[in-house]
Amino acid sequence: MSDSWNKNAIPRSRAIVFGSLVTMLFLGYLGHLFSLQVVDGYLYTVRSENIKRRSAVIPAARGEIFDRNYDVPLATNANSFAVEINPALIARGEHDEIFTRTADLLGIQPTDIQRRIPASSYHVYQQIEIRSAVPFETIVQLAENIHDYPGVSWATKPVRTYPDAEASAHLLGYVGDITPEELQVLYNRGYNARSVLGKSGIEQQYDLLLQGEEGRSIRTVDARGRRVGEEDVEIIAPEPGHNLVLTVDRRIQQLAQAALGDRIGSVVVLRPNSGEILAMVSYPTFDPNQLYGNVAGRTFSQLRNDARAPFLNRAIQSSYPPASTIKILLTTAALEEELISVGDTIFAGPHYRLGNRIVNEWRPSGFGRINILQALANSSNVFFATIGHDYLGTERLLSYASEFGFGIQSGVDLPGERPGLVPTPEWKRRVFNSPWVGGDTVNVAIGQGFLSVTPLQLANMVAILVNDGVLYRPHVLKEVRDGHTGEVIARVEPEIIQTLSLKPQTLQNVRRAMHGVTRGGTAEPVITTPVVEIAGKTGTAEISSETDDWHSWFVAYGPYEATDADEQVVVAVLVDAANEWEWWAPKAANLIFHGIFADMSFEETVADLRRRRRLWYM
Amino acid sequence: MRSRSIFGFDVYILTATLMLLTVGILFVYSSGLETTGDTLSHEYVRQTIWAVTGLVILVSISLIQYASLKPWIPYAYLLGLVLILMTLLFGRVVNGTRAWLGVGILGIQPSEFMKIATILAFAVYLERAGNSIRQIPYLAAGSLLFLFPMALILMQPDFGTASVFFPIYLGMCYMAGARVRHLMFIGLTALLVLVFTMLPAWEHYIHGSRIPAFEIFSNVRVKLLVLAGLVTVALVALVGFIMLKRRSFYWIMYSISILFLSLAASVGTRAVIRDYQIMRLIVFLNPYVDPRGAGWNVIQSVTAVGSGGIAGKGFLQGTQSHYHFLPEQSTDFIFSILAEEWGFAGTLLVFGLFLVILLRGLYIAGNAKDSFAGYMASGIVTMIFTHFIVNVGMAIGLMPVAGVPLFLVSYGGSSMWTALAGIGILMSIYQHRYRY
Repeated sequence: MSDSWNKNAIPRSRAIVFGSLVTMLFLGYLGHLFSLQVVDGYLYTVRSENIKRRSAVIPAARGEIFDRNYDVPLATNANSFAVEINPALIARGEHDEIFTRTADLLGIQPTDIQRRIPASSYHVYQQIEIRSAVPFETIVQLAENIHDYPGVSWATKPVRTYPDAEASAHLLGYVGDITPEELQVLYNRGYNARSVLGKSGIEQQYDLLLQGEEGRSIRTVDARGRRVGEEDVEIIAPEPGHNLVLTVDRRIQQLAQAALGDRIGSVVVLRPNSGEILAMVSYPTFDPNQLYGNVAGRTFSQLRNDARAPFLNRAIQSSYPPASTIKILLTTAALEEELISVGDTIFAGPHYRLGNRIVNEWRPSGFGRINILQALANSSNVFFATIGHDYLGTERLLSYASEFGFGIQSGVDLPGERPGLVPTPEWKRRVFNSPWVGGDTVNVAIGQGFLSVTPLQLANMVAILVNDGVLYRPHVLKEVRDGHTGEVIARVEPEIIQTLSLKPQTLQNVRRAMHGVTRGGTAEPVITTPVVEIAGKTGTAEISSETDDWHSWFVAYGPYEATDADEQVVVAVLVDAANEWEWWAPKAANLIFHGIFADMSFEETVADLRRRRRLWYM
Repeated sequence: MRSRSIFGFDVYILTATLMLLTVGILFVYSSGLETTGDTLSHEYVRQTIWAVTGLVILVSISLIQYASLKPWIPYAYLLGLVLILMTLLFGRVVNGTRAWLGVGILGIQPSEFMKIATILAFAVYLERAGNSIRQIPYLAAGSLLFLFPMALILMQPDFGTASVFFPIYLGMCYMAGARVRHLMFIGLTALLVLVFTMLPAWEHYIHGSRIPAFEIFSNVRVKLLVLAGLVTVALVALVGFIMLKRRSFYWIMYSISILFLSLAASVGTRAVIRDYQIMRLIVFLNPYVDPRGAGWNVIQSVTAVGSGGIAGKGFLQGTQSHYHFLPEQSTDFIFSILAEEWGFAGTLLVFGLFLVILLRGLYIAGNAKDSFAGYMASGIVTMIFTHFIVNVGMAIGLMPVAGVPLFLVSYGGSSMWTALAGIGILMSIYQHRYRY
């Protein structure tokens, strides 16, 4: 062999060196492979198992929300389709084309997709949602031509829906994706980056009850995340959220909503002997269905920029001067403190003068000598300015205001409740750096100036009088029920939050005075319902002496004298000064009372009152 | 004479080749298999056709007197260049590279065949040059034969294929007796160009913080200063060498020149090289810099190889591959499937078969009856060796990802025919070794 090695050709030594190099490199590689496959093989086996196992989250169904009748849900979940794109499954250079095609199919702009999938993430193996709430027909179209849409897929996704849309928007609230700030706060309570949570109303208040627990499915997948293999898929079933039953009566809610109509304002209807809120309406409102999904961003900014503040629940989140409705409180205080008896009269002339503060009587000629029942029925400013300043005095007046629940939150189970304000001398010194003067007391006595209350607080004031001095915490939640079985898990018991020891005689006289308002008093022309006796008080708050804008209040209860306390309801209506003045609050209350006690819808109420020729104002 | 040569096939190489072809078809089949058991592609059918036709080519070439090829070699070389030029003009783009000529499903990659043409042409050159290859001008002039196709292939751009030419040049020159210090100079310069090109990216992705010394690569002024300094030192050394005739000055000049050249060249390469190529080099050093992107292939491939263990998961039982975690699994990453399904045992088999071909190829080179045949054989052995080292190295994370197929095993007609034609030439040299 050695003699066949040709001198002319390859130097033998070099062939040997080359051969040794080849062999050494082979051995080196084999050494590395030995360590990879034999020594560390188990590590890679585990890793390859883990790569293939992917757990997918099964979202828990959010609990449904029902009204007190527990029949048709006010908030439920619907399945919708979301279209997703996995950019790594699209061949290089074809992204633009696929995006354009998909955008055409979905009726959106290609830039909408490019914004969600920038070129820098084209290699990312992940489904990125590009549109939710896609109609079924579009999905069918996509499925039939799926070969033209590499990387595009769809998934079903539960979406919160509110069948009554705008009617209960403030009460129920709406849901949205968790924000990074919210996640920081809520992380330890079981929320994660995928959580969808309540952003206002009941949805926010009872979010943890509604959430439920996510399930998981663990499966073997290929690189594209597609399920492969016959092995059993391990499933940890999700636990649905609890269902909530509210105290709200959907029919009364709709009635109140319709009665208020498209006037900026609010209505509260509650049961005085338990604190159950039967209806809570605020206008302007919004459609919570529009706040989740594709249009959310646009709708949201639109609502945000609306100067009328549609997100504001005016029943609890904004306060107004109570105006003449405060005279109920003064009547109660004056009678309870025995400063005046029902038969005593005070001269109510055209003006009440205190230093340079002049209160004009709304009837230019004044009322002459009148008793307290007449004064409340006719809403005499001069009479109650005298009672407030001369009889009660600052301290007693303010203490009654506080005892009736003004200036503090009622503790209703809804987020964002405002306390309103009972001004005090210390408060005035702190804020305005000026001393309390008699004029301030006069202002409180006629419900003007700094005193401000929410519609719910005003309803509570009447509830105390109806309920013999006992105030229950107003609440919206009635029962919590199991999401699977519907079994009642918890029931909200009425909770007393304030007990005023008022003499029965006082209570009886105040109610009589309030009844006088609707029978011979200021509200008589508009309280026309024959089905229930109403006792209440109107209020007209001047918001500025320059303009002619007035808030219109009406707060009342009915029936006036009930044998069964369960029957009685309190209604508080506020119509904001921003509306054209039409003295709508008592008119709306009239419709609401008639609808509740005749068990009629708004349309039926209107028709019924018209038939009885008692609806002159509509 | 002729009858003896017909039965004079080299049985070792032939057996190893047939076995590798079989393994290749098996794993191309495996790579096309869905987890459901459905075949996803019919690549294995085509692979079989190419293997069979390739074997016909092998046998035909082995029967030819290789000397009779000589007059055709310049034309083959020129034709190859023209074809590659045509790919640049009318070529089809596959995987971002304009390297294909053809219509419909039939396509060829001229750059694959160009390797053989270049080897043949350079063998002619080396034979003419004889001992002169020990002189720098001859060495340099010969490199032009490689630089033309490399430049054209880089324009496709196909970094992997182009890079294979370089070791072939070095290997053939070495076997032809060129001076080791010259070859080392070239090799070290090339290595340093690569390192210098990468260092700024390394600083950014892996080291994480700025290193002041790296101003050399990013700041042109600093770079010029350093280059000027190097030139000065080199000139001083040159003067010293001529005046004092001391060897040490020669080596100073030698290393300074390497530094100078690679620094200067890295300016050019950094302008030409693309971001994704830099990333491939970076993820070679640390695939977890971009685990979902550029590093994905390396991580998945090494996981597949490692999870194969000693005996493997069994033929068609690989999960990394059948769940499509491995991209390009019938071409670039065929070794990963093999290593996953047949384990270390399969690895040993494939290494053994290639070692047989390479060592036997070297034996044929050494026993060739003339230097032209010896150089050809050396070039073919180097080519097969380079492909093996780069492809397997890539699959096990020892080499950066470059689209270089594993000869005889990877799916692809052009590379299959190139390999079998090369082996056919080896056979021809073996068969005609005694003919004077």
